[in-house]
Amino acid sequence: MSNINGKVYAMNAVTPMKTWKTWILRTIFFVLGHVKPLQNDLIDLSFIEFARWVIVPRNAFPFLRSGQVQEDLKYDYLLFFSNFNGTWNQYIDAFSAVLSKGLNLIWRWSEKFPGSVPVTIFKEYIARVQFDTDYYYTAYPNATANDVNSAHIVQASLDSLSLDAGKYTPEQFAVAYLRFVLQVQTHLGETGEAPIAG
Amino acid sequence: MSKLNETDVQGFVLRGYNLPVARYLFLHFEDAQRTRKLIGRLLPEVTTGQRWDGGKPDSTVNIAFTHRGLQHLDLPDVTLLSFPVEFQHGMKHRAGILGDCGVNSPDHWEKVWREDRVHAWIGVNGQTTEALEACCANIQSLIEEAGGATIVDTQDAAAVVKNGKPTTSEHFGYTDGFGNPDFIGIERSTQPGQGKLLPNGTWAPLATGELLLGYADEAGELPVAPIPHLLASNGTFMVYRKMHQNVATFRAYLDRQAELYTGGKEKLAAKFIGRWRDGTPLELSPDKPDPSIVQDPNRSTDFTYGGDGEGTRCPIGAHIRRVHPRDAFGFNGQLINRRRITRRGLPYGRFVPEGEPVSDTEERGIIFMALNASLSRQFEFVQQQWVQYGNDSHLGNDKDMLIGNHGGRGRFVVQGEASVTNPPFVCSGLPDFVELRGGDYFFLPSITALGMIVMGLVDPR
Amino acid sequence: MPNQNGSVYGLTILSPIIDDERATPSHDLQIRNYLAHLSTREESPFAQAPGTHLARLVVMDDVIYVGAPACEEHLKSKYLIFESNCDGDLDGYLSGLATSIPDHLDAVWKHCVGYPGAANHQAFVEYMKACQLETTFFFAAVNDKTVNQTLRALQTQSAVADFIASHQGADSATLQREFLEFVAHLKALPPPRPGSMGPHRDIKTGGRNE
Repeated sequence: MSNINGKVYAMNAVTPMKTWKTWILRTIFFVLGHVKPLQNDLIDLSFIEFARWVIVPRNAFPFLRSGQVQEDLKYDYLLFFSNFNGTWNQYIDAFSAVLSKGLNLIWRWSEKFPGSVPVTIFKEYIARVQFDTDYYYTAYPNATANDVNSAHIVQASLDSLSLDAGKYTPEQFAVAYLRFVLQVQTHLGETGEAPIAG
Repeated sequence: MSKLNETDVQGFVLRGYNLPVARYLFLHFEDAQRTRKLIGRLLPEVTTGQRWDGGKPDSTVNIAFTHRGLQHLDLPDVTLLSFPVEFQHGMKHRAGILGDCGVNSPDHWEKVWREDRVHAWIGVNGQTTEALEACCANIQSLIEEAGGATIVDTQDAAAVVKNGKPTTSEHFGYTDGFGNPDFIGIERSTQPGQGKLLPNGTWAPLATGELLLGYADEAGELPVAPIPHLLASNGTFMVYRKMHQNVATFRAYLDRQAELYTGGKEKLAAKFIGRWRDGTPLELSPDKPDPSIVQDPNRSTDFTYGGDGEGTRCPIGAHIRRVHPRDAFGFNGQLINRRRITRRGLPYGRFVPEGEPVSDTEERGIIFMALNASLSRQFEFVQQQWVQYGNDSHLGNDKDMLIGNHGGRGRFVVQGEASVTNPPFVCSGLPDFVELRGGDYFFLPSITALGMIVMGLVDPR
Repeated sequence: MPNQNGSVYGLTILSPIIDDERATPSHDLQIRNYLAHLSTREESPFAQAPGTHLARLVVMDDVIYVGAPACEEHLKSKYLIFESNCDGDLDGYLSGLATSIPDHLDAVWKHCVGYPGAANHQAFVEYMKACQLETTFFFAAVNDKTVNQTLRALQTQSAVADFIASHQGADSATLQREFLEFVAHLKALPPPRPGSMGPHRDIKTGGRNE
């Protein structure tokens, strides 16, 4: 069992919500999904590979009969799955520092949520509602979201240069090559193992 | 915030003394009761944060303890267990986290650090060597008289002297001494660029709790601290690292790379750090050093990276950009306010000017000392995520050019432009320019806390 | 369509686990045990089956009691969560799993209620869809390329950095010639295997983080 694979961390969290609050959260997610600029801060933080929220209404837990006992719940549940780069502390510190309003908007409807600021009590809450991953796979364990982003930029620039490279004179090529280097010069970091912590 | 009581905080925390010579004594405790009496004898000598209105004293004395040291002073178990985990571990145990492997591995450390012998650090700074010797002699005789503790190691350090005057230069030839943060309530003329960035582009001092325990920090709470409050308040944590510098390797590497770099050797040296060797920041003066900027405290550290997203003035991976990213990660710099450290170190070993023969095997380097309210959130984070790694700057696994543990395999990219004087350039095959020789984590108590320790009055609840 | 973001699909499946007091160890523990011994690297079933960027399997024992005044309640079944971030369309992905790794699928999901087995692809896909939850909000802004495109790009990035570093100061003719060779060589390289860690480094920067 591990929450970590290479440079990426799998966090799972489940929080209860009073059913009358669920529709408010649905509306918030709807707006977030359709008003792209609201996601900008999330994108700028750039250490999230993939993240999702799943509202599970109290009667929506899959029921397949065949001897399964049906659930009888009072609360709706909010499931959260994140795949992020960096350490657990770093991740929560960053969100608490710059995205506290967004976090509050999503989790204030969950019971006993203490608010995302100050951070120490917020971390205690997360530790309580987080549950662990049994099996975690990533196709690129040695690359973070930043690394992947840079890699795509390098690939695109290389493809562009390769297209015409053979047609240039050496002098023309040197100019095109310099242009290429300038395009990729902030994207050449090595990939490899993650730092060790804890 | 509540007014800071400067006489209760050790002076070493509140200010860099700017005294040219220092000696650090490392103690091992054998007998708790006699050691407590010894500390009681030393207590009147301990320099507080009180201002020096009548001029600097001839010498200063400060004291700090490792967790082992606090155990040997018979502090209550509950108190000992309430210290942060990383402090309880000690720096040697954190080697994996800090990237202290390869040449920096504890296996290669000096004996006293390898063998967990250090219980206390006594820092003595002096105006002159004579004053330093006199003060140390006094302390030594107090230690002998009291019994119960022995000095297991001493370390001398001194500002590099050029033309008969002490400078803030270090052995690679760079001018050091910039970049310590400003804190609310700590007496210091605030300099633009040292505190935190505000949305309107001006700078403000950081919350006191980023340095001192017992005060509000940047997260809007009191920092996690050991109990009781009285033991922790006005105290802080200190990192001590003896970093050997391979000056010969550095000079040879710079010369070799400079042959291919068309911007010139001094500019390449500046690109490694982010400042010209005289201290001029590349962001403010990318083409040449400018003494008028360096000498003006209102300008020497007042810059941001927002206008240099491509790293063409100051490379993305340059040392000062890594350890103090300012606004480079967006969000108005808010992501870095809780990652600042206060440095207090000095160089050690004989300085060899440029052009004279120098050898890596000679003992020289820097005694790196940093103060912070949280070792794990501040120093360890910067070391692990920004020095030995580069993901936050979008540099993957690339390490700090100067202090990263490269093992001969590292790479440093100097971003550039389509110009002969500022071309893009890649430095490969980076050797280890520095090597860690040892060190540990210390707790620097307040004067009140020292008194409590002396009298055996530490009571966790 | 909230399950999809660009070309990446966010699949969330919650499969009720069989609750049988006579089973020793219980079904959820058997799943855990099987997963504990499964490789998460190149030999992972998800590396063999196509299209998985990141995926996790989690046995959810229960919901969490956050403390008074919240009410305490419990799930009547345990659930196996399968959270996958994958390429392309759902049917294609699920069929791909059933085709490439039926034994692994069966070994895990046979402990779940109503699982028909991977042999019958249609029944398998229908079962998974019956257990699928609608992802309310899926954030995947960073990577909108396929797994193979991503792996190739990472390989390219590393090779380009090496090329640039080793060709500083080269004259234009040599540079051009060697660049063309480089591009041809890179095209001919097989793509890196999914789940692999890349070349071994002798300086350890770690392997776990907190």
